[in-house]
Amino acid sequence: MTMGTRPPDTLPREAVAELLLDLADDEFVIGFWDSEWTGIAPMLEEDVATSSISQDEIGHARALYEMLASLTGDDADRIAFGREPEDYRHAALLNHPRTDWAFTVARRYLYETADAVRLEALARSSYEPLARLVAKMRREERYHLMHLDAWLTRLAEGGADARGRLAAALEHLWADAQAVFTPPGHEAALLEAGVLPEPMAALRRRWAGEVGERVQSLGLPPLDPTVGAPTDGRTRRTDGFRWLHGEFTMVARSDPGATW
Amino acid sequence: MSARVGRDRVWEVFRQETEGDPFVHAGNVRAPDEELATHYAREFFGRRQESHRLWIVDRAAIVELRDPDLLKPPFDRSFKRPGGYVIRHKLEAAKARATAGGQQREPAAEDAPR
Repeated sequence: MTMGTRPPDTLPREAVAELLLDLADDEFVIGFWDSEWTGIAPMLEEDVATSSISQDEIGHARALYEMLASLTGDDADRIAFGREPEDYRHAALLNHPRTDWAFTVARRYLYETADAVRLEALARSSYEPLARLVAKMRREERYHLMHLDAWLTRLAEGGADARGRLAAALEHLWADAQAVFTPPGHEAALLEAGVLPEPMAALRRRWAGEVGERVQSLGLPPLDPTVGAPTDGRTRRTDGFRWLHGEFTMVARSDPGATW
Repeated sequence: MSARVGRDRVWEVFRQETEGDPFVHAGNVRAPDEELATHYAREFFGRRQESHRLWIVDRAAIVELRDPDLLKPPFDRSFKRPGGYVIRHKLEAAKARATAGGQQREPAAEDAPR
């Protein structure tokens, strides 16, 4: 699929491509991790909801990979399934296996809130195809956030076991969550062109403030707002992710180049 | 979640396909409260863009009537049905007039029972 709009000559193509890959890999990997709940979520209704939301994320990833492919003359499926684990650029937050339900809720909460701040900024991007796509994505992400906040509240206000697991997971994931805002390689060029309307560091501070307030309102232990985004936040890979990569590339590897 | 299951409620979901359509019973979901019931109803009956609007009703709020004495009384009730008025011969006459008059439509509507 092609995007219709030809990017202007002044567009820092390489920088935009990097940004799109960061965004796409985040959505792709969280979509695959949480789809691991299909069949075993806490209750049937939640099973369907989690699986459906995971599909939404993979749908967003597909749209982003297609935009990237049209920009670089590549193929969206090849980008999605044809790379080695070390070439993925998702945030370190998404390296972790799904673990238990509280861990999944904690991770999703940190990711969805960070993504919401990032998408709010990108909806103002000077790169119009991206601004338009982000506007569409935000309409679905709004529901994801509502669904997620419902679970965050229930676990925080549930019994000691649920609350303890949630608090431990939030604390465990907090440092890696900052990596959603690890600046892309050519951030200065993106800022200058208005593709990225605000520096990642500013977005990160805004997000950390919002999360801090929510965590406090639920009476959960505070999270350190001074932890910054790690420089290797989008390049660090783990065995957990290598396992997931093996799962999600299995079909594509079985018959490379197949069409369906 | 076993502790939670006992506190779950059943919510009946009605969906409207497009504006103006009647709401039709779609099925039900189980959820502990209104908020999650809404999310689950949306996933089960709206995620494929098949619904214009949903009504999510706590089953406990539904007033059920199933008393056969009230709903299926033993006496002949045929006079309460439109079928109690025999209009077959009127319809046949109207059709005959329509055929005789070619494409012209007969204003036979006032013969039909209300």
